[in-house]
Amino acid sequence: MAQLQINDLHVDFGGLRAVDGLSFNVTEGEILCLLGPNGAGKSTTLDLICGKIQPTSGSIRFEGTDISQLLEFRRARLGIGRKFQIPSVYKELTVVENLSVARSRRPGIWHALTRFSLSDGRAVTSILERIGMEAKATDLAGNLSHGETQWLEIAMLIVQDSSLILMDEPTAGMTIQETERTAEIFRTLSSSHTLIVVEHDMSFVRTVADRIVVMNRGAMLAEGTIEEIETNEDVKTAYLGH
Amino acid sequence: MTVRLFYDLIALVIFALVIVFGVPALMGFDGFELNTFARYLALGIVSLALALSWGGAGLLNLGQAATFGMGSYAMAMHLKLKASGGTLPDFMGWNNVPELPLIWVPFHSLGVTLLAGLLVPAFVGGLIATFMFRARIAGVFVAIISLAFLVAFQLVVIEQQGITGGQNGLTGLAPLTLFGWSVDTYSVGFYYLVAGCLMLAITLGLYLTHSKFGLILRAIREDADRTRFFGYDVASYQTVIFCISAALAGWSGMLYTLVLQFASPTYMSVSFSLAIVIWCAVGGRDSVIAAAIGAILVNLLEGRLSDVFAEGWSLMLGVIFVLVVMFIPRGLHGLIGDLWHVLSNGSRKEGHPSNKSDMQSKPVETRQEN
Repeated sequence: MAQLQINDLHVDFGGLRAVDGLSFNVTEGEILCLLGPNGAGKSTTLDLICGKIQPTSGSIRFEGTDISQLLEFRRARLGIGRKFQIPSVYKELTVVENLSVARSRRPGIWHALTRFSLSDGRAVTSILERIGMEAKATDLAGNLSHGETQWLEIAMLIVQDSSLILMDEPTAGMTIQETERTAEIFRTLSSSHTLIVVEHDMSFVRTVADRIVVMNRGAMLAEGTIEEIETNEDVKTAYLGH
Repeated sequence: MTVRLFYDLIALVIFALVIVFGVPALMGFDGFELNTFARYLALGIVSLALALSWGGAGLLNLGQAATFGMGSYAMAMHLKLKASGGTLPDFMGWNNVPELPLIWVPFHSLGVTLLAGLLVPAFVGGLIATFMFRARIAGVFVAIISLAFLVAFQLVVIEQQGITGGQNGLTGLAPLTLFGWSVDTYSVGFYYLVAGCLMLAITLGLYLTHSKFGLILRAIREDADRTRFFGYDVASYQTVIFCISAALAGWSGMLYTLVLQFASPTYMSVSFSLAIVIWCAVGGRDSVIAAAIGAILVNLLEGRLSDVFAEGWSLMLGVIFVLVVMFIPRGLHGLIGDLWHVLSNGSRKEGHPSNKSDMQSKPVETRQEN
C-alpha cells in the first residue's frame, strides 16, 4: 500500500482554485519530484500535506490514517517533515540548538522539562560532521551564509527523522557543487525516508527523481519517469504555451 | 556545560553572595533597614516571572499584577483571619456581611493558603493562556488581552467590598506563624526568608531557561509555525510557561503582603503591572537574574529619589524606560554582555548574540536574501 495517498484534493483561496482535483500516491522509500510552471500548486500541495493549510475537500491518507483534518504538529508527530522554500532556521539560536529543537522524537513537555537544552548533543554532533559544519556548531544560525543555512535546514530534517520529508526547492541559491552534494544526501536519505521534492533545477531532478508528477493549474498533468515526462506532449504545451 | 550556563552560574553565585552577605553587612544587620530591602527582593521574583514569559517565550504578559495580587490577597486573607481570632473580620461587619464567605473558609489553614497563593494564579493564568494560545493569538494581542483581564479583575476586586475589603484592601493583619516561628518582618531572619525565596525562584528560573523546555520556548518565540512542524504542541508549551510565571508572581505577592503587612487593590493596577515590565526591561528580559536585579535597582532608586522628588518620580521612571528601550534594548544584562565582549575581543563583534534584533523585530530583512 502506498505510504501517502492523495485523493481528489481541492483547495480554494477566495475563488481561486489553487489545487483542483489532485490525486496521486507516494510509495515508501521513493523520491517523487513535483514539477510544474509557476502557480501550478506545487507548494500548496506540500502545504496541504503538512497541514499548513486545510483542504476544501478531498482526503490525504498517511500510512493508512486520514490526516486531512489533523493539526500540523500532530502530522509532524506521525512522521511528516517539511522544508520550506525560504530557509527557515532559528536565526537567534546556535547551530546545535537548532538541531536540538529539530530532534523532536519526544516532543512532550514533560520530556523537555526533564532534559537540559543540549542533552541531544551527541546525536547532533554526528549530523554536523555529516554536513561538514562541526566548526560552526556554536555559531548563531543567523550568521551563516545562505548555502550553510540551506544545509542546516536539511540537517534539521535529517535529525527530525521523519519518514516522509517534503522539500520545497531545496537547492535554491546553491552553487553547482552544493547542489551535487545535496543530490548525494538525498540518495542516501531515500533508503530510510520517502521524499517529495519541488524543484526547478532539471539536472537535479534527473539525478534524484524516481518518479515525477507534473502539475498544471492545480491538477496532475502527467506522471512517470524522467524519460516519459520529457517526451510528453502535454507537458511541453504547458511549459511553452501554444 | 555550555558557556551560557557557566556565566549564569557565576552570576548566580555572585548575586547570592551579595544578597546573603553583602547587603546585610552594608545595612549593619539592622532588621528595620533590611525590611525595605526585603521588599525589593520580593518584587525581584515577579520581575523574573515576567522575564520567563516575556524574554523566554516572547509572551508579554501585562496582567502579571493580577496574579501577583491573587497571591498577595491569599496571604492577607490568612493573616486577617488570624488577626480576627474566631470572629468575623472587621470590614465584613461594616459591609453587613452576616457570616464568613465560603471562599474565605479554607484560608484558616496556612498550608492551604500557601498552596492557593501559587495554584490559584497558576490556574487562572492557565485558563487565559489556554483560550489565547489554542486560538493562536500572539504578539501584541497577548499583551492587550492580559491587560484587559487585569483591568477587569481589579474592578471585580474593588467592587466586591464585602469579600475583598474593596478600595481599602485588607489591613490590620496578624504576623505570620511559620513552624512555630512568629515572623517579625523587621528581623534579619525575615530578610533571609525572602532572600531564600528569591534564590530558589532564580534557581528554578535558571533551570527552566537551560532545559530543553526553555530551548523550545526560545524556538517558539522566534518562529512558532516552524516549531509546530517539528511536532511540538506550541500552545501547551506557552500555556505551561504562563502558568509557571503566574505561580511565581503569586509567590512574590505573598511575600509582598508579608513585608508591607497589608494587601491593596493597587497591587493589581495597570501602573503596577507596567512597572514590572520596566524593571524587567531595565535589568534585561533575557536573563532571570538580570530581571530580578532590575527590579531591585529600580526600586532602590525609587526609594531614594521619590523621597526627594515626590512628584517627579513617575516621570523620571518613564524617562528611564524610554532611554533603556532606545539605547540598551536588552537591558543592563545586554549592556554588560556587549561590554564584556568588546573588552575580551573587539574583533569578532558580529559573532555575538548581542547584535540580534530586539523587542519584536523579526529578521525580516534577512529573509529577502533568496
